[in-house]
Amino acid sequence: MSIKGIVVSSGIAFGRALHLNLHHEKIDYRRVSPAQIPNEQRKLEQAFNKQKCHLEEGLAKLEVGTEHYDLIEADILFLDDESLLEVVVNEISQLQINAAVAIERVFSDQAAEMEQLEDPYLANRAQDVMCLGSRLIARLSGAQHLDLSQLTEATIILAHDLTPAEFAMLPLQHIAGLVLNTGGLTSHTAILARSAGIPALLSCRFERSQINDGDAVVLNAIDGELHLKPTAETVARLTHLRQQDEAHKQQLLLLKDLPTTTLDGHSVGLLANVGSLNEISHLTDVGAEGIGLFRTEFMLMNSSTIPNEKIQYHFYCDALHLMDGKTFTIRTLDVGADKELPCLNPTCEDNPALGIRGIRYTFAHPEILTTQLKAILRASNHGPIRLMFPMINQVEELDTLFELIEQCKSHLNEEEKGYGELSIGIVVETPAAVINLESMLPRLDFISIGTNDLTQYAMAADRTNPQLTRDYPSLSPAILTLIQMCIDTAKQHDVKVSLCGELASDPIVAPLLVGMGIDELSVNLASLLEVKSAIRAISYKACIEMAKRARKIKRIEELNLYLTGLSL
Amino acid sequence: MYQKTVTITAKHGIHTRPAALLVKKAKSFDCDIIVECNGKQASAKSLFKLQTLGLYFGIEVKVIAQGELAQQAVEEVSELLITLS
Repeated sequence: MSIKGIVVSSGIAFGRALHLNLHHEKIDYRRVSPAQIPNEQRKLEQAFNKQKCHLEEGLAKLEVGTEHYDLIEADILFLDDESLLEVVVNEISQLQINAAVAIERVFSDQAAEMEQLEDPYLANRAQDVMCLGSRLIARLSGAQHLDLSQLTEATIILAHDLTPAEFAMLPLQHIAGLVLNTGGLTSHTAILARSAGIPALLSCRFERSQINDGDAVVLNAIDGELHLKPTAETVARLTHLRQQDEAHKQQLLLLKDLPTTTLDGHSVGLLANVGSLNEISHLTDVGAEGIGLFRTEFMLMNSSTIPNEKIQYHFYCDALHLMDGKTFTIRTLDVGADKELPCLNPTCEDNPALGIRGIRYTFAHPEILTTQLKAILRASNHGPIRLMFPMINQVEELDTLFELIEQCKSHLNEEEKGYGELSIGIVVETPAAVINLESMLPRLDFISIGTNDLTQYAMAADRTNPQLTRDYPSLSPAILTLIQMCIDTAKQHDVKVSLCGELASDPIVAPLLVGMGIDELSVNLASLLEVKSAIRAISYKACIEMAKRARKIKRIEELNLYLTGLSL
Repeated sequence: MYQKTVTITAKHGIHTRPAALLVKKAKSFDCDIIVECNGKQASAKSLFKLQTLGLYFGIEVKVIAQGELAQQAVEEVSELLITLS
C-alpha cells in the first residue's frame, strides 16, 4: 500500500519509520478565574523556557554561523522577545483564558498578519510561526524533549510538521528520509531537506495509525509515494530504481556544473521545459541554466476554476524564488486542440487543431489573458521573466498584445501594485509565423521555435492521429528549412533564437541544430544531460559541417540514416 | 533623535534568518530603535514585531533611534539592513 505526497527532495530511501509527535493534541479551551491567572502565566513562562532550553541544547551541538545554527538561534530570539511574552501574558489576564488558548490566539494572529504580506516568500514564514506556537502548546501539556541521539539505523521520519530549527536538530547521518503531513515545495523545511540531499515527501496524508514505529517503509521520492508494508516485488523494483537513480546521479555529478560548450568552445544555452513547481526544484539536479518553456496550462490542469490573479501571482513568485535569478520563460495559457482543461468549457469544433487554440483562445476570453498578464507583470517585480505567446501568426496580433500589456500596467498603477519589465517573445509554430517573422522581430526580444506544432502545420498532419505517424515525421527536410529560415531572419535582427520542441531533446539532433545556428535549446529535464553530453562531445566546426550535409538531404529516411549513422 | 532611510537589497527580503541578525545587532545598543516601513513601525529588538512589517526586496525602510549612541545605532542598523542577503 502506498500514500501519495509532493516530492520536495528527490531520491529513494529505505528505513525504519519513526513518528515525531511534536504537534500538540487538541487544545482544551478553559476560562480561568482571576485567582488562577498568575498560575497560568507561570505555566506559560515555563513552556517558553523549556522550549528555549531545548533549542539551546540543539544549538550547542552545531557550529556557529552555519545556516542551521542561525535558524535555531532565530527561534530562540523569537521566544526571548519580551514583547511577545507580554502579549500572551496580557491575553491570559484580559480574556481570562488558559495559557494554551492564549498562545493559539496570539500565534494565529501573528501568522494571519504575516500571511497578508505581499511577498509570498515572507508570507510563507507564517507556517513556521504556527509550528512554533504548536510546540509551546505541546510543552504546556507536558511534552518532553525528543531525544534522537540514540538513533543508530537508517530512519524515515514521519511527522505532522517540522520547523526549520527542528530539522536542523535532527541527527542527519541517520535520517534516510522525511515525510510530513503538511508543507510544500517552498516551505523552509523543504529547502533544507533539498540542500541536505535527504529524500522528502510533503503534504503526504498518512494517518498515525497506519504505521508503527520501527516498521520497514520505503520512500519513493521520485514518483512521490510512501510505501507501507512494501511487498518483495516493490522492494526489488525500488532497489533497482535507486541503483539507476544513483548511477544517473553519478553521471549528473560529472556533467551538471560543466558549461554546454562544444569541444572548440562554442557555447549554447541549455534550458528546460517544465510545467510545475516540482520540476523547477529539480533544475539544479541537472544543472539547467534556466527554463526555456514554462507551460502555465498545467498549473490549471487540476483546478476547477481558473486561479485568480493573486493565486497566479504567488505561484509565479514561488517559481521565481526557486529559479533564483536564472532565465525563466513563461508561455501564456496554451489551450485548445489536444489540451483541454476541466475548468474551461470545451468548444466543439470540427478541426480543433485549426481552431480556437493558443492565443486565439485567450483573445476570445480576454479576462483570462489579462488576469495572467497582470499576475506575471507583478511577479516580474521579484525577478526577471521572459514571456512568450503561443500560436502567433502575424504582427497585428502583436499590436493587440502590446496594447493589452499597457492596459494591464495602467490597471496595476491604479491599484498601486508594483510590476517589472518583461522580455517579450513568441512561439514560432505556424508556417505563417516563419514567413512573417521579419515584420514581427523588431518588437521582440526573443523567439522560440515550437517544432511539434510547426511540423503538424507544415505537413498538414494531425499529430494526435495515429494513422498519420508517417505523415508527421519529427525530423524532415521541410522542418529543417523552416528552422533555418527562422534562425537566419532572427540573426539579421539580432534576436535570440530558442527551440523548445521535442526535436531539441533528441541528443542525435541537438548538434545539428547547434550547427544551424540555434542560440538556445530548451529540453525535457530527463534528456538535459544527454543533450549536454552530446554537445560537449563534438566541435562546432563538425556541427556546421553536419548541418551543411543534412540540409542537402531531400529524403526523410536518408536524413534519419545520416544522423543515426553519425552517432554510431 | 536620529533617522535614516535605506532600501532593502536582500533578494528574498528580510526573512527569518536576516531578521534575527538584525535583532541581535539592535540588542547590542541600549537606545530605542524603531524600524518603519509600509506605514507600520516595529522595535528593531523585537523579531515578533519585525516579522509583520513586510521588509521586501526594493522597499524603503526608515530606521529611527533615540537615546544613548542613537546616531551610531542608526548607522550600524541601516548598514546591516542594506548588506543582509
